[in-house]
Amino acid sequence: MNKEQFLNQLKRSLSGVPETEKKDILYDYEEHFRSGMENGQKEEEIARSLGNPRVLGKSYRIGSLLDESRGGRRAANVLRAVFASLSLGFFNMIITVPVFAGLLAGLIGLWAGAVSLAVTGVAVILAVILQPLLPAFITLGGLSIPFLIFASIGISAMGLLTLIGMWKLSQWFIKITGKYVQFNLRIIKKQEARA
Amino acid sequence: MNVQFKKGVLELCVLVVLCRRDYYGYELVHTISENIDIAEGTIYPLLRRLTKEGYFTTYLRESEEGPSRKYYQITEKGQTYKEDLLQEWTHFVSSVSNLIQEEEVA
Repeated sequence: MNKEQFLNQLKRSLSGVPETEKKDILYDYEEHFRSGMENGQKEEEIARSLGNPRVLGKSYRIGSLLDESRGGRRAANVLRAVFASLSLGFFNMIITVPVFAGLLAGLIGLWAGAVSLAVTGVAVILAVILQPLLPAFITLGGLSIPFLIFASIGISAMGLLTLIGMWKLSQWFIKITGKYVQFNLRIIKKQEARA
Repeated sequence: MNVQFKKGVLELCVLVVLCRRDYYGYELVHTISENIDIAEGTIYPLLRRLTKEGYFTTYLRESEEGPSRKYYQITEKGQTYKEDLLQEWTHFVSSVSNLIQEEEVA
C-alpha cells in the first residue's frame, strides 16, 4: 500500500467524523509520511508500520462519538439548570413569598403592639402628672394615683421588654432571609457551573 | 501482549516522552516504536484524544527540510496526569513482581 492508498482508505473509514476534524486527522498522517520519506523511508514501509487504516479510522470514529455524547450531556445540563431555576422560582412564588409576607406582617403587628405598650405606659404617667393642671381634659376614672403609677411602671417595663425582644427577633428574621437568598443563589450558580 | 493493556501503557509512554521536551508526530512515534512493538498509527488517535482532554497543546513550527511540523507540548494538567499514571504503573509492576517472586519461593 502506498501513501495515496493509505490516506484514501483512512478517509473512507472516517465517515461520520466532522469534516474539519477529518482534515486535521488526515493532515497528521500526511505529515507522518512526509517526515518518514525525509528520513529515507519508502511509502510502503511507512504505511506498513502505521497499521491498518480501517482500524485507525474506527478508533477515531469512537473518539468523535464520545465527544458527541459529552456535548449531549452538556445540553442536558443546561436544560436542567434552567429547569432548576424555574422550579426554584415557582417554589419561591407559591410557598416562600406568602410565608415571607405572613411572617413580615406578623412582625409588623408585634412591633405595633410593643410600641403601643410602651406609649401606654408613658401616657398613664403623663396623665397622672398633668391631671391637676388640666382637670377639664383628663380624668383618672376613679382609679387611685398609686395604682396608676405602679400600673404605668409595669406597662412601660413590659413595653420596653417587648421592644428589646422585637429588636432581636427582627435581626434574626433579616439574617434568615439573607441566608435563604444566598441559598437560592448558590443553587442557581451550582447548576450553571455544572452546565 | 494484550492489545488493551498495550494501549494503556502506550498512553503512559507518550506522556513520559513528552515530559522531556516537545516532539513532532513522526519523531514521537519513532521514539516510542523503537522500544515498543505497536502499530505506529495508533499513536495519532491517542495524541488527538489526550490533546482534546487538555493534556497537550500543539503548535506549528517550520522545519529545515520544508513545510511546518505539528509539535506536541505537555500542559501542567498533562504533567499531573503523568505523575498519577506513573505512580499507578510503579505500584502495579511491583505488585506483579512480588507475586512472581512468591510463586518462585513456593
